[in-house]
Amino acid sequence: MELNRRNFISLMVGGVAGMHITPLPWKLTDDIAIWTQNWPWVPVPPAGAFNSAKSVCTLCPGGCGIEVRKVDGRAVKIEGRTDFPVNPGGICPVGMGGLQLLYNEDIRFTRPMKRVGPRGAGQFADISWKEAVGILSERIGGLRKKGAGEAIAAIDGNSARSATALLVERLLKAVGSPNYLRAPSLDDTYSLANLMMLGTDGPMAYDLENSDFILSFGAGLIEGWGAPGRMINAWSIWRDQETRGKVKVVQVEARASNTASKADQWVAVMPGTEGALALAMAHVIIKEGLYNKEFVGGYTSGFNEWSSFVIRQYSPEQAAAVTSCPAEEIRSLARAFAKSKAPVALCGRGKGTLNGSLYESMCIQSLNALTGGINRIGGVLVQDHLPLASLPDITYDEVSRQGVQKARLDHAGTPKFPYAQSVASLFAKEVREAADSRIDTLLVFGSNPVQTLPDGGLFRKALSKIPFIVSFSSFRDDTSMYADLVLPDHTYLEKMDEVVWPAGLQYPLYSLTRPVVKPLYETKNCGDTIIELARAIGGSVAASFPWKGFEDVVKHRAKGLFDSAKGLTGYKADSPVWKMMQKAEEITPDYKSFDDLWNKLSKGGFWYRPVHNYGRWDSIFKTATGKFEFVSTRLQLAIQGYLRQNQADSALSGLGIGAGAQVAAYPHYEETNAQVDTKVYPITLVPYEMINLASGSVASPPHLNKTIFDNQLLKEDSFAEINPKTASQLGIKEGDPVFIESAAGRIRVRVSIFEGAMPGCVFVPLGFGRIGWDEFTRGKGANPNDIILPRMDPVSGQPVWWKTPVKITKA
Amino acid sequence: MEKKHGPAKGNSYGMVIDLDKCTGCGTCMVACAAENNLAVRPDESDKQRSITWMRLYKVTNGKDFPYTEVSYFPRPCMHCDHHTPCVSVCPATATETDPHTGIVSQIYTRCIGCRYCMAACPYHARTFNWWDGYFPKGKGIERYLSPEVSPRMRGVVEKCTFCHHRLMRAKTQAYTEDRRELEEGEYITACTEACPAQAITFGDLKNPEHKVSRLAKSPYAFRLLERLGTEPKVYYLSTKDWVRKLGDNYLPGEFKPVSTVKAG
Repeated sequence: MELNRRNFISLMVGGVAGMHITPLPWKLTDDIAIWTQNWPWVPVPPAGAFNSAKSVCTLCPGGCGIEVRKVDGRAVKIEGRTDFPVNPGGICPVGMGGLQLLYNEDIRFTRPMKRVGPRGAGQFADISWKEAVGILSERIGGLRKKGAGEAIAAIDGNSARSATALLVERLLKAVGSPNYLRAPSLDDTYSLANLMMLGTDGPMAYDLENSDFILSFGAGLIEGWGAPGRMINAWSIWRDQETRGKVKVVQVEARASNTASKADQWVAVMPGTEGALALAMAHVIIKEGLYNKEFVGGYTSGFNEWSSFVIRQYSPEQAAAVTSCPAEEIRSLARAFAKSKAPVALCGRGKGTLNGSLYESMCIQSLNALTGGINRIGGVLVQDHLPLASLPDITYDEVSRQGVQKARLDHAGTPKFPYAQSVASLFAKEVREAADSRIDTLLVFGSNPVQTLPDGGLFRKALSKIPFIVSFSSFRDDTSMYADLVLPDHTYLEKMDEVVWPAGLQYPLYSLTRPVVKPLYETKNCGDTIIELARAIGGSVAASFPWKGFEDVVKHRAKGLFDSAKGLTGYKADSPVWKMMQKAEEITPDYKSFDDLWNKLSKGGFWYRPVHNYGRWDSIFKTATGKFEFVSTRLQLAIQGYLRQNQADSALSGLGIGAGAQVAAYPHYEETNAQVDTKVYPITLVPYEMINLASGSVASPPHLNKTIFDNQLLKEDSFAEINPKTASQLGIKEGDPVFIESAAGRIRVRVSIFEGAMPGCVFVPLGFGRIGWDEFTRGKGANPNDIILPRMDPVSGQPVWWKTPVKITKA
Repeated sequence: MEKKHGPAKGNSYGMVIDLDKCTGCGTCMVACAAENNLAVRPDESDKQRSITWMRLYKVTNGKDFPYTEVSYFPRPCMHCDHHTPCVSVCPATATETDPHTGIVSQIYTRCIGCRYCMAACPYHARTFNWWDGYFPKGKGIERYLSPEVSPRMRGVVEKCTFCHHRLMRAKTQAYTEDRRELEEGEYITACTEACPAQAITFGDLKNPEHKVSRLAKSPYAFRLLERLGTEPKVYYLSTKDWVRKLGDNYLPGEFKPVSTVKAG
């Protein structure tokens, strides 16, 4: 056929028409769509029988109850548990994402390993458990032979007084080392403040649900403080239509956090001046005679002395100059607080992952004393520790007996820090600055000091002076990247572990986690590893660990609960514990024998005692005076001891106390400013915590990355919040990359302009800037801990991390 | 304004979110992601690509320090009742409003990935899979996936289903017990169950016995972009005018503060 114009057009028209009629191209497009959708791989989750297992979440010290939904042996979802006294069904986002910490081979140590690459590179080779325990026991045995037990140190992040923590401390003593360190936490500050004023280092027990005026000095009540499941539920009750207006929540903070925004009132003060605000409130309460005369008159000591000091030095006008909070606001706040029926003042910073300030805690506790809120309904309760059975005495040999008596490297317990148990940042400083290696072997348990210690990276730098580092972490976290040897623990979903008194709870509660899935890898419960290690070291060390395994230790301790107190192991959501406690009746235990109790406990169970003797003020204070002490006898003794030893008359600067010897035993405000030129570093860096960003030793599960806004993290850059006024003074705009520089170093972040940020400050979230983990976490954002100047909180010795002078320059 | 949901027969599942109770913790988002097998990519900070069914929006009152306040809007799919925008435009019948439940479904195997629904949705409730779900071999992260929800392939749009599989689960249970009607609370979404502040209430808007239908009539209740007339089945509660005002666009002087809403 000839191809002329006519034929060509016919062909084209015919072709176009034909294309529309034939199904072929459509079929092909569809096939391609289906084919590409199914290629290369979309997982098909295997089906199976649904079942569930109850346990407890130990990702933070809150210890919320969880129920894990499973398909055959596979865990597919974590949910809150409604039959658990702490949290009626709710948990926090971190706990909700917990399965991503279990099922991710890239972030876990699957078996014992030893380092093969350079430190920090995270290159490890598999070894057997036998070899791993052998290496460590030989090293420790070798040091002991040289009589150098004190060259072994441990830093421990397991909850204080839990069985694992006790075993770690015991191991250190048994091998002959005094250098048992704890990662600092708010609990340390609480215990210390209680010891000074109540005479007992028991847990801080805030009866928040029964209170009608909650005055929080910086505690992130809905941002992870205490047990998040409990706190957010309490918050919800306060916001109920029926209770709305009956309970008032006031948040004292320098930034419009979620807690500050959602509270009834936000009181903005300069970071670190919360103590001065509390004293000014005390001033108003005392001057206007609003204090509880029965309690103050009958059950406190040192009131006259302290009150005249407060009247003299902390008028609202004087405090306004320090805090930047107007004097009138302080007055009306103090009146509203004191006139409430059941007010409570609580202290803490953010989640309480890190320590607070001792004097500040004492100032705030004084408000509770003035209003008679100590051991009263809705106040702060005086509680003893759980009656768990103590472990048998340690067997010492000559080496360990001498070793434990040697001086601690961090000076805790010396006249400088007479009541401190451990000061990790000071330990790091000593190790770093010493000419020779004072520590040969460092054991890291349940903590991640490289990431979490607010010390300007000091701990990380100190690691280079330690020849041998052993990690017992489940995860390839930031600290274990530096480890030479890894003896991995199970994750919290694979093991039995204790929760001894959830953080901030007002009644005694003990709960046990249990393996909700079979351990996935060749990991081992850290408690069992310690016992095995002790056995391998042999001699008196082995004799100090007479148990078959960790479960025996837990069982032994739980016996104490059965023997010495009446408790319950069942709970119904319709009778919350805080209501039960008001009845003050003795209860009948719901278990018959210890075996019965243990049987219930070991299935992810719990034991609690919903009884409290409210309103009792005689014989509960264990101070020298037998009363609540506004002027702490213990502090007076410490100060006298210090002055005697240093042949000084009144200067306490060595203790970090600016006030005179007279005032030093009072709850008072200490400025604790870093000694740097504020002309060079005019801005104050304030780290803050977010509930949807894990800031502790364990990183956020990746699901949480979806909840982070793009003005908090964008690609690799995290953001610092700055007030628009401050930003315009600095000439920086939204999204600008900047350097935040302190005397300790600098970090690179982007700027997020936020009206709720106090002018003159820069707010940087804690939890970013991790160096371990995997692609979901590693290298995202900056860690403000890297540039915090390690400044000491007086007496406690812990770092003052909440304000660091910095300068901001465009990057 | 009297609001009617769904046809005369059947249920009309909906949600009321109390913004005064919401603390902005994000547990709803994580619970949703875990329940519905949402994949996580190494970079989730690109919010155009990040896949979420329930998304939290942070808002501020814009006032200067120290009068600034923040609040949050958790935003699932609104499951619009009237002229459901996404359903109206879908050329592949991949999304439908179920007349028996009021739930707007999404059928991945029908979806051709044209993203017309995403353009139509006034709430940005839909996200597109530019890639297959990220479950690289060797990490073993696919082990936590639930068999109740199929993981999505590249090239399809996904969105909140009001945890439809939970309705199936509850119905199966009810049918085995020879019941045809579900009790209140028998079927709730994962976010409702997870919210530690109990800010989310879920149930049948047409059943006057259900708490949601009572709450939806509260003087503090409002919906997002209500005047588009799509009849969303997600209600919000807030006593704060500045939060309520952000729920829609208003001409100057048009917004009625909650005090007048209460009176009227």
